Amino acid sequence: MSRITITPDPFTLIAYDGAEITAIIEDVAALVDFPRDVDIDLEVDEELFAPLTGHLSDVVDGRVRLWISGGNFEDSRLPRQFAPHQARDDLAVMLLRAKDRLSDDFAAAPPDASLSRGERTAWDTYAVGRAGRLGLPMRRQRQLYDFRLQHGFTDIADAAFDRLWTAEHVTWDGIREICKETGATDRDTSKIPVDLLRQK
Amino acid sequence: MKKMLPESELARDERFVRTKIEDRIFDPRGPKIAQRNTGPARMGVDRPAAGERSRSLMHGIFVGEIQALEGAGRTCYDFDDAEAPFQLKLDMARQCWDESRHCEISVKLGDHMGTEIGEYTESTFLFAAACNPDPVFRLCGVNRALEGLAIDVFKSMKDFGNESGDPILEFCEDWMLADEVTHVKMGSDWLRRLTETDPERRERALEFQRTVDAIFNLGGFRGEDDDNPVQLARDFRRLAGFTEEENDSLAELARRSTEEARQMAEMATAALDASAQNT
Repeated sequence: MSRITITPDPFTLIAYDGAEITAIIEDVAALVDFPRDVDIDLEVDEELFAPLTGHLSDVVDGRVRLWISGGNFEDSRLPRQFAPHQARDDLAVMLLRAKDRLSDDFAAAPPDASLSRGERTAWDTYAVGRAGRLGLPMRRQRQLYDFRLQHGFTDIADAAFDRLWTAEHVTWDGIREICKETGATDRDTSKIPVDLLRQK
Repeated sequence: MKKMLPESELARDERFVRTKIEDRIFDPRGPKIAQRNTGPARMGVDRPAAGERSRSLMHGIFVGEIQALEGAGRTCYDFDDAEAPFQLKLDMARQCWDESRHCEISVKLGDHMGTEIGEYTESTFLFAAACNPDPVFRLCGVNRALEGLAIDVFKSMKDFGNESGDPILEFCEDWMLADEVTHVKMGSDWLRRLTETDPERRERALEFQRTVDAIFNLGGFRGEDDDNPVQLARDFRRLAGFTEEENDSLAELARRSTEEARQMAEMATAALDASAQNT
């Protein structure tokens, strides 16, 4: 059984409960068939609120290190209150990406902070599509819009999205290939770090 | 039917959740975030959470359109012909038609972005500008302040559509922007006509508009710097009949609002830190 640690403990700015989040992670880990011998650290940034959302999944020294904005877990209709269904959806995507990182298919992928926005959105699409097929209520149009913002509002980008959304097996090289195909690779590099929200 | 409807009695179905302004003011996270670099507030595809921020703003535009429709509709009904000429009411009726179309366009844009009605909360402070019992004041509040804000928001969204290569967003916002320019122009024309012989009433109405504009700056939401998500659309405001002096004055008001918000955040942070040290 994975050991799970949640930071902060306790939450002081928002009404979140570490034990409740741990239970959701255990449940989601079983759903996505996450390796039982890998420990998971989750840091929730309780200062951030919607729409300042985002999450990162990395593997450091064999441990999974997850970071997420408190806004991701926040009920969009009740400020500072925890929304378990949102947490479940986001944690599933995060664990699927962490599981990818533990496999040889994504061994060459750089840490999340070094991914381009195009690479990250393509990888997310692959993960969100799989989470949907596991029975979680993922929203295709939402993911498509995020994908289009980074890959373009074109037929080529939409076709690439469809392939990622329905794919059962994609590798890191496959993600990079799709970024070349849509032109995301050729976009100017922004000066704004992709993990800016994590930086305090 | 009741005249002069207060904000609290606006009709909504169960999808809508109204936010209380106190929730935002007393949210302990606000001052902490104000001290952090969360990237440029100006809309762009490379800023953090670009998609989520766009969806949230789109929903805000949608509920704003509902309230603008309600404001113009109330003006058709709340006043007799002596207070508000029939031709003015015809203009307001045309505006209702435009705002209804904007509501529908905004819902479809929300679908396009992957959000839905009621996903975010609604604040009804825009409608508050439409509650003044004097039709001239109300015109200034709705047609010049609220619709002026709509010009700024739509121009910012149109630019975002252009930058992100999203033709649906860009063209929809452009068409709505054209309507908003007309609405402001109608407000400016009627203000002039209704106060032709009463300069003192005109000045008081413009003062009311400045108060509403200050509120609509929302502590840095609107302005001319990268710190402001919504940019003051000077060119379109000029087309709508705002003078350069009025645009300068609004820009100055926006700078003051941003600075006041910054100072308040600093004070709140200091107070929170002191409180944390004492416990």
